[in-house]
Amino acid sequence: MRTTARVVVPIVLVVALSLLLEGHNLPGGGFIAGVLTTTAFALLYLAFGLDFLERGVLGREVESGKAPSRDRVVVAYRRLFAAGLAIAVGSALVPLFFGVPFLSQTYVVLEGVPIYGHVELASAVVFDLGVYCVVVGGLLTILSAVGAE
Amino acid sequence: MTASSDPAVLLVAIDAALVVVGALCVLCSYRVIRGPTVADRVVALDAIATNVVAIAVLFALRTDRGLFVTISLVLAIIGFIATVAVAKFVDRGEVIQ
Repeated sequence: MRTTARVVVPIVLVVALSLLLEGHNLPGGGFIAGVLTTTAFALLYLAFGLDFLERGVLGREVESGKAPSRDRVVVAYRRLFAAGLAIAVGSALVPLFFGVPFLSQTYVVLEGVPIYGHVELASAVVFDLGVYCVVVGGLLTILSAVGAE
Repeated sequence: MTASSDPAVLLVAIDAALVVVGALCVLCSYRVIRGPTVADRVVALDAIATNVVAIAVLFALRTDRGLFVTISLVLAIIGFIATVAVAKFVDRGEVIQ
C-alpha cells in the first residue's frame, strides 16, 4: 500500500494541478482540483498514518498520540481556508475598481512565450485558486479532525 | 484495417458496449443489494465504479468530446481511493491510524 501511494500520489497531484490550470476554458476548475488534492492527501493519511505529514515530511518532532500531534498541521489547514476565502473574495472585488460588475472576468492572450507559444492568461485563475485553497483547507481540516477520532 | 476505422462499425460497437456495460451495472447492483458479506458489496461497488468510468470513455468516443475522458480520469481516481479506504476498514477496523 505504501509503494502504491508513492506512485499514485504524485500522479493525482499532477492531474489536480492540470485541472486547476485549465479550468477557465475546459472542464475542471478550483473545486475538483481541490477535491483531487484532498484525495491525494487522504491516500497519504491512509498509507502512512496521521503523523506522517508532521514527522516525515516537515521533519518536526511530534509526540505520538492523536489529539496534540496534529495541531499545527490543522492550524495550517485552517489558515489555508481563510487565505483562500480572502483570495476568492478579493479577486471578485477587483472588477468593481474598473467600473464593471462584481465577479467580472477577462483574459489576456500572450504570444511568443517560449515552449508554449500561445498562452491565455485569464483572471478567472485567481478566483479558481481561491476556491482551490478553500476546498483543500476545509476538506483537510474535516479529514484530520474526523480521522483523529 | 479499413473495417476497424469504419465509423459505422465503430458506432455499432460502441453502442453495443454501452448496452453491455449498462447491463453489467444492473447485475452488479443486484450483488450490492443481496451480497451476503461486506466484501461482496465492496467488490460490486468497485465494479460499478469501473463500469461508470467505461461508460464515460465510451460516451467520449461516441460523441467525440474529449471532456468525458477527464471525467473518467477523476472518477477512476476517486473510485480507487474509496476502494482502498473500504479495504483498509475491513482489514484493520479503522481507516486512518
